[in-house]
Amino acid sequence: MSDEESGWNLTESDPGVFTELLKTLGVPLIVDDLYSLDPDSLAALQPIRALIFLFKWLPQSGTEPDPSLSSGSGAQYDPDFPGFFAHQVVNNACATLAVMNALGNIPALQSGAPLQELLAFTAGMDAQTRGLVITSSDWLREAHNALTPPSAISLDGLGLPKTSEDAYHFIVYMPAMGCVYEFDGLKRHPIRHGAYEEGGEGWIAKAREVVEARIATYPPGSLEFSLLALRDDPLPSLQARLKELQEAGRGNDSEAAELIVKLANENSKRERWAFENSLRRHNHLGLIHALLVAMAKAGKLEPAREGARKKMQERIARRKEKGEAGMEVDD
Amino acid sequence: MSAAPATILAFKAGRAFRREGTNFVDHSPEKGAIILQKGEDELLHFIWKNRSTGELEEDLILFPGDASFVKIPQAPGGRTYVLKFSSSNQRHFDASTNRDEEFVNNLNMVLQDPDRIPVWQTASTSQPQASTSQTGPSTRAAAPAGTTPEQLAQLRTLVQSMAGNTSQEPELSLNDILTPENVLPLFTSHPDLIPALFPHLPPDLPTPPSAEVLQQIITSPQFRGAVRNFDQALRTGMLGGLVRGLGLPEEAGTGVEAFLRAIQEQSRGEDRMETD
Repeated sequence: MSDEESGWNLTESDPGVFTELLKTLGVPLIVDDLYSLDPDSLAALQPIRALIFLFKWLPQSGTEPDPSLSSGSGAQYDPDFPGFFAHQVVNNACATLAVMNALGNIPALQSGAPLQELLAFTAGMDAQTRGLVITSSDWLREAHNALTPPSAISLDGLGLPKTSEDAYHFIVYMPAMGCVYEFDGLKRHPIRHGAYEEGGEGWIAKAREVVEARIATYPPGSLEFSLLALRDDPLPSLQARLKELQEAGRGNDSEAAELIVKLANENSKRERWAFENSLRRHNHLGLIHALLVAMAKAGKLEPAREGARKKMQERIARRKEKGEAGMEVDD
Repeated sequence: MSAAPATILAFKAGRAFRREGTNFVDHSPEKGAIILQKGEDELLHFIWKNRSTGELEEDLILFPGDASFVKIPQAPGGRTYVLKFSSSNQRHFDASTNRDEEFVNNLNMVLQDPDRIPVWQTASTSQPQASTSQTGPSTRAAAPAGTTPEQLAQLRTLVQSMAGNTSQEPELSLNDILTPENVLPLFTSHPDLIPALFPHLPPDLPTPPSAEVLQQIITSPQFRGAVRNFDQALRTGMLGGLVRGLGLPEEAGTGVEAFLRAIQEQSRGEDRMETD
């Protein structure tokens, strides 16, 4: 099914967007950016339920390497995987599909009824059917689309050249049945990367190896990627612990102080996400129009047009020099 | 069984060509005519014929519902129309006779459905144009007997070549106009603007609207993405309906420069009016 027919809009792959989707699903997890895989950074975010690796191969970099060709990794397809795995059947739904592949394998997951029912309904289905069922779920699609710009100006179907925002690929790494698994909606089966040690960092240590090996198969600078952590929402436990300390008369000691800082950071991050999400959902046409009219009234529109023309000419000249096709306008 | 080509409508018209890389159109002095003909292939042909040489220099196939004529109000000098195809970015510019309305309406009607018979409302023309049941080619001009040489001389058809249109580089981008450098100083010089913009902000912001929030919005990737989207949508030339919701004429939805021109117009109009 084409993206245009599917009714799934392309979303940003932003932690705020993912977390809002999780909230809609009634799941007490959040998604955070991971800037590093080192033990200290990851320890601060535990318990981590899954790692989401999203990446884009940059076309100027030659042929994309095939990671499955790297031998000795102990990775194997698991066609008999009894857990949840769905194929990606609509490209625009890739982010939500990755989230579903993660959520479907979290034991005893708390969530709202619609998600529970969808997971139960798809139990025992093959990956392709499961993918189709998920993609046809109206409420899930609406939850997904809730964070894309209003369709008043939908650019689907106009045959416009694609910008660099799309075409990210999503892969989930998480523990299941004592092994680290890789769920890639574009592959036939889940991939089992082998068992992990329970102690210490647990499955994270094994996952780190696998992700780093994956990144290393690409020539330096040829990959644009992000790592996200799907983790328990820390707010409830932080708040509960602080309350405990305050009630025990220890509201002024160092642990309480640390908690207050953590809570402040977490809350300001949520506020930033709420701000960005409200902008994402909004139709900005009225604001765009009002600003341009104001510029015109202040006599600033004409000079701005001149400036914009010059900038465009410079940009075109630069592109011709480099011999590149396409045009990103935020250069 | 195919019929010989049958002329449905014909009138005198000239041509003009778009200067490459600009929106300027240069008039061509050749005398010509637009002929709408149902061809031997049963398809509707839009033909421009050079009346001096007799050559058929343009021959476009139109499918019913595919194309329509839209008047361009601000084209200087003549009565200029855009022949717009709903299926592509291609645009053809034509000028009609001074019985503009009637011709355009009939042309639209014919373009919508070649089997309908256009009816002319005039004392001077002897009979209605024939329907497709007429056999044999007919290329007589349909201009009424009273048309003056000046009027004839004034008719220009503006036809744009296909190749030139599709490889067009964008002239400018709205993202380069609505930059923080251009917009933020406005808030300082025109502080009344700030509360005037509040109604256009998202209704579910986590903090109440303020100058600072406005600044954050203008510089946000979400807003810049929205400007980019709108810029791209304008380039398709198909936002005529959408821009009317902003109180702008349909022409404003045909491109970025057209939109900006209309904004300039609108801002002049508003100065003369009381706004609440």
